[in-house]
Amino acid sequence: MIRFEDVEVAFGDHRAVSQLNLEIQEGEFFTLLGPSGCGKTTALRALAGFVEPTGGRIHIAGRDVTRVPSEKRGVGMVFQNYALFPSMNVRDNIAFGLSVQKVPKAEQRRRVDEVAERTGLAAGQLDKHVSELSGGQQQRVAIARALALTPRILLLDEPLSNLDAKLRVQLREQLKQLQHEVGVTTVYVTHDQEEALTLSDRIAVLESGRLQQVGTPEEIYDRSATAFVCRFIGESNRLTPAVMDRLSGAGLDPSAESYIRPEKLHLVDAGEAADGTVTVDGTVAERTYHGSHSVYTIAVADATLRVSVPAGASGRRWEPGDAVRVSIDPRWVLQYPAA
Amino acid sequence: MTEPSRSPVPPPEAALPGDAGVLTGVAASDAPRRRRRPGGIRSMLRSPLAWVTSIVVIWFAAAFLVLPNAVLLGETFFPGGEFSLAAIEKLLGSERAMRTLGNSFLLAVTLSITVNVVGVFIVLVTQYFRVRGARLLWLGYATTLIYGGIVLAAGYNFIYGRFGFVTNLMANWWPDLDRDWFSGYFAVTFVMTFATTTNHMLFLSSSLAKVDYASIEAAKLMGASSWTILRRIVLPVMKPMLFAVTVLTFLIGLGALTAPLVLGGPDFQTVAPLIIDLSRSPVTRDIAALLAIVLGVATMILLAIMNRAEKSGVYFSVAKVATPIQKQPIRNPLANAIVHVLAYVLWVIYLIPVVLIVVFSFVDARSILAGAITLDSFTLDNYIAVFSSASALRPFLVSVVYSALAAVIVVGGLLFVARMLQKHRNAITTAIEYVLHIPWILPIVLIALGLVMAFDQPQAIVANVVLTGTPVLLLIAYISVKIPFTLRLLKAAFASVPDSLEDASRILGARSLTTFRRVLIPLVLPTAAAITALNFNSLLDDYDAAIFLYHPLYQPLGVAIQESTRGENNLDAMPITFVYTVLLMVIMGVTMYLVYGRGARAGSPRRRSRSA
Repeated sequence: MIRFEDVEVAFGDHRAVSQLNLEIQEGEFFTLLGPSGCGKTTALRALAGFVEPTGGRIHIAGRDVTRVPSEKRGVGMVFQNYALFPSMNVRDNIAFGLSVQKVPKAEQRRRVDEVAERTGLAAGQLDKHVSELSGGQQQRVAIARALALTPRILLLDEPLSNLDAKLRVQLREQLKQLQHEVGVTTVYVTHDQEEALTLSDRIAVLESGRLQQVGTPEEIYDRSATAFVCRFIGESNRLTPAVMDRLSGAGLDPSAESYIRPEKLHLVDAGEAADGTVTVDGTVAERTYHGSHSVYTIAVADATLRVSVPAGASGRRWEPGDAVRVSIDPRWVLQYPAA
Repeated sequence: MTEPSRSPVPPPEAALPGDAGVLTGVAASDAPRRRRRPGGIRSMLRSPLAWVTSIVVIWFAAAFLVLPNAVLLGETFFPGGEFSLAAIEKLLGSERAMRTLGNSFLLAVTLSITVNVVGVFIVLVTQYFRVRGARLLWLGYATTLIYGGIVLAAGYNFIYGRFGFVTNLMANWWPDLDRDWFSGYFAVTFVMTFATTTNHMLFLSSSLAKVDYASIEAAKLMGASSWTILRRIVLPVMKPMLFAVTVLTFLIGLGALTAPLVLGGPDFQTVAPLIIDLSRSPVTRDIAALLAIVLGVATMILLAIMNRAEKSGVYFSVAKVATPIQKQPIRNPLANAIVHVLAYVLWVIYLIPVVLIVVFSFVDARSILAGAITLDSFTLDNYIAVFSSASALRPFLVSVVYSALAAVIVVGGLLFVARMLQKHRNAITTAIEYVLHIPWILPIVLIALGLVMAFDQPQAIVANVVLTGTPVLLLIAYISVKIPFTLRLLKAAFASVPDSLEDASRILGARSLTTFRRVLIPLVLPTAAAITALNFNSLLDDYDAAIFLYHPLYQPLGVAIQESTRGENNLDAMPITFVYTVLLMVIMGVTMYLVYGRGARAGSPRRRSRSA
């Protein structure tokens, strides 16, 4: 559906995106994820036609659109700040694209009503001024406006970043559901890894303009392709040489940069045996309570390991100073060539 | 009111021409949310500083803002203590007065159209469309920032007027030429149209900068054409400011003084020059006052409408973080070519007077009069004449001293007042604030006439000293007219200082005066300095107040320049006026650069110091 082919975008000396190769399938919810300045928004804007790549090609549905103006690409976009037209009411905002295309008034009305209903905008809100709406409602208007032209592709540029945490989670779910119903190919830009993991069919992680990994959320998380992805997504423990020594014989490369996620570690009482795994003895340095789970900081040999223990799993609980044993399953150790 | 270049009344939204943020750090509305301060009258009365400030400001306001207008109203409608409508009857019976009133309204309506057409066009070609040489164009259009009022009218007169260079030049070819071709309604409209686009340059540009670029991109993505985007997205956002500058333009036209005075000729006289004329004789002074009241009432009504319109409807960007605007290419090649040609034609119109004034300041008078300039005509004599003769330099020095004194006094005094108004919110301070805005809603002509009429007799409030005919009254007028602008900006500057700084100073044991002097003043000082410079600038070439109030021994520059435009007998003064104008342009240009030019650059010292 969408193909980036060696796409490069440079602003003067600065290369915002380099050698980007990507393929996005029809109907997919695809996320561009990375820290600020990684080039994700630039890649999205190149797809929208707002920035012209300095190299490479972009294809939509088999057609080279690299030099095609934005409005002829069949894409809709929801901007980070929504970009609602402040001089128009909600209905006029949503109908804008239709009126530009000279769609008959009655048809405009019908389609606005339809897309408003689909995006959860009450009929009473359509005649309101956009400034009278809350942030969440404004966001719905922005989505409705983008969908009114029934684009083949919907682009979303950090659409949830202006909202408070609770609303963000709520709208995230609705967004996913909406995308599922409409079936529109969606490209989503965010720096929020949790958002990316929960929403996406597939994720592309970018760093400094370069693509680090493309994969399903599970692949990205459990099988991070690079040390950057591993550190950027979720939490991880870097394993020190002393710990790696204990893991020798498990078929791991002791010289490689090695990581393991806190929830892949298990905590047992000191002296207790743990089958099929390697164990390291240590002492509880700290415990933080998170409701659904607790995170223990364990001092071992020359390092500390953070271990996530789900609440109520074993009913066991340790206090700072307790001697414990950390069991490590070598299968979950992520290794990368030393930098 | 009648200065063609600078509006007396900044639109409410833009306290300062251009970028208020440069001066004040944050606009008042962006000020950090503040705790409610204990602003009761009792707490205010406990502060000795507030006592002194209140007494001084209340005395000044009563004596020079309220009393003159009361006297003016009194003498118009209560001559000899009895209510009378005789002034109205006299006005209605005077064909000349009614005709000038009609002319003033005609000029106001005409300018509302012509200035908007030109103003919107120059803003779009310099800020919105991608036009080649936009920076150069901007510099040309911005020349009205550094010369206006009587200077500009005199400049046009010396170029296109009866004895102007262009007229002389044309007369060499067409001896039958009507030497007054550049006079009357057409000339006044032409000059004022190009002279008063300053408001568009400053205010409309800043409102265009507030358009969220993402909304333009969104419209593009939906297939909207450049024209549709301009019409349906960009212009609606600018609508309130467009309305505000239209009102200002209307008011400028209504109160026009210098352009009709110099270029109106016998056929096109307007109200303000007539008021000056009529005010000179005791017999007709009541009609002058009534005409000034008519101007004042019209001004107040229009400003009230402007305020109401501003409050209704939200047109500003709803985006929390607006994306900065980027210039739009004009895709249609024909439209693009037409826009470029028009932009440069206007540029030439704007630039001709400035260039010629600078050139003529180095040319001897005979060559200008002959309409033939050769290399031999160039000389430094005009400059030598101004700088070596005490009498030629005197008007310049008089204006510099007046402007500097007024600028420093008004900022120095209002630092205390603004602080008090901002710190203590109660009935007294609210009333003071309203009274201090009186000069904002009245034409200068009315203020000046009020002062003349109030102080040509002993008044107890100023210890029975007759002020009319003394050099002090003009200074008082200058201070008064600068109060509203200064107060608004200083208040915004104080509002942008976080409360915590003052609290910290107090908890460390500083008294309120120490806190004010050592903590607050240094923070608002850059703003105060900039306001002082702008006030100085705008008073330097003042004509409107000076013509009513100047002392014959201390003739200010504006009056001297106006006299040089009067008929053949004064033609010797013409080269000197060109020198004055060049000097004014240099001073104003430097001030504008210091206030805006440096600040406009990203990461200016002032901005940095604010964010630090």
